[in-house]
Amino acid sequence: MLSIIKQSLFRRFRESETKLHELSYLFWECTTQCNLSCLHCGSDCSQNSLHNDMPAEDFLKALDTIKNPVPGFTVVFTGGEPLLRTDIEMCGREIRKRGMRWSMVTNGLLYTKERHVSLLNAGMGALTISLDGLQESHNWLRNRANSYLKTVDAIALAASSSRLNFDVVTCVNQRNIQELAKIRELLMGKKVKAWRLFTIIPIGRAVNHSELSLTDAQFVELMDFIAESRKSNTIDVKFSCEGFVGNYEPKVRDSSFFCRAGINIGSILIDGSISACPNIDSSFAQGNIYTDNFYETWETKFQPFRNRNWTKTGKCASCSNYKDCNGNGFHNWHGDKQQVLVCHNEKIMNGLKIKDNI
Amino acid sequence: MKQLKSKRNLARKIIGGLSFTSTLLIFQACYGTPQDFEPDLLIEGKVKAQATGLPIKSICVSVVGEEQDLLTDEAGTFSFYLLMKDSITLRFEDIDNTQNGSFASKDSVLTDLSNEVFVNITLPEK
Repeated sequence: MLSIIKQSLFRRFRESETKLHELSYLFWECTTQCNLSCLHCGSDCSQNSLHNDMPAEDFLKALDTIKNPVPGFTVVFTGGEPLLRTDIEMCGREIRKRGMRWSMVTNGLLYTKERHVSLLNAGMGALTISLDGLQESHNWLRNRANSYLKTVDAIALAASSSRLNFDVVTCVNQRNIQELAKIRELLMGKKVKAWRLFTIIPIGRAVNHSELSLTDAQFVELMDFIAESRKSNTIDVKFSCEGFVGNYEPKVRDSSFFCRAGINIGSILIDGSISACPNIDSSFAQGNIYTDNFYETWETKFQPFRNRNWTKTGKCASCSNYKDCNGNGFHNWHGDKQQVLVCHNEKIMNGLKIKDNI
Repeated sequence: MKQLKSKRNLARKIIGGLSFTSTLLIFQACYGTPQDFEPDLLIEGKVKAQATGLPIKSICVSVVGEEQDLLTDEAGTFSFYLLMKDSITLRFEDIDNTQNGSFASKDSVLTDLSNEVFVNITLPEK
């Protein structure tokens, strides 16, 4: 009974958040240059990206269209590899001058002690580093032989900081799913406080690697691993907000599933496109900072994000979980948008059937 | 519009609170970072020579007990963001031998920490 009331209130909350659509989290795809060539890269970034880095002044000009940023407004530097830019600190200081916060997602390869201190000095408050397995599986996914050791060093450095809100993310795939307990042990040994797990959806380079996607049974295994890990308070383990996971919802994250893309989350991409999360299909771009006023675009457009009734198609059309799932994570809609790319709850139902039959 | 937003804000807090979920207003995007709400402050300052009043370059400014430090620039200035605390001790050290003169070290304890702090420091020559 309590859970029904709770869920109903959460739906009202989600509606109210959608109506309010307060921008509080802005991705900046500041570069698509990358020092890795990961097998699963959703942005298809590379060492020879066709795009030049976006000049800081172009981004800041767009940012200046936000007259009253909400408290805690965060700019998330993403890429590519943001640390390939040498002006991150300058950009960070400019963001702080505007009363906003900033953070960064990195692969950790260039995260040295000197850069760590320099970024903190410039007001960086949060950081995420990707670790995709133990040595062999991490290096395989990251497509580079020595990346694991450098990444682990970077993780230890970031975790030692009393200033940073730091977490590690792991793309769970067929090669590393059996390593999760050992990765957890490794992270706890490095004093990491938070670990976020997600799966890889078949977009970008991931389309050509079937090993990257979990089977349905493995997905259930992942849910069980997270649920079990959350029973102890040693490290905050959670499933990312990538999709609705049915009965596992209260067991694998702090709050019910709510895809905030275009509701609280926006992005400015390398070519100036205005969108929500960077991995969302480019056809959903709502404008471009080089031709449109960024904040006006945020306030007046983004209808496909704020009214998702169009996602009631394909398997979602008759799904009994739709009112809680709302078409799953927005990045699961690509191509002709007639079918959700991944239904996490369906994977769970199938996986549980397999488990029951064993 | 502003009134409507503030009413909605109140409603979201009530509904959010009633749904018993601990982190309704704090979230992170799938491929993003955690949010940062830690109170911090910007500390800026300038380091000059006591005898001449001229700015000193390359003085190491560090925060006692913390990992952060930096060097003063050509104009003797420095700035960094630090976690808000009851008091912060800054240490000023001449670490480049005699390259920009030779100055004695100094500690400065900051206790009046508003949102922004500007520190003027003079260092005596050794």
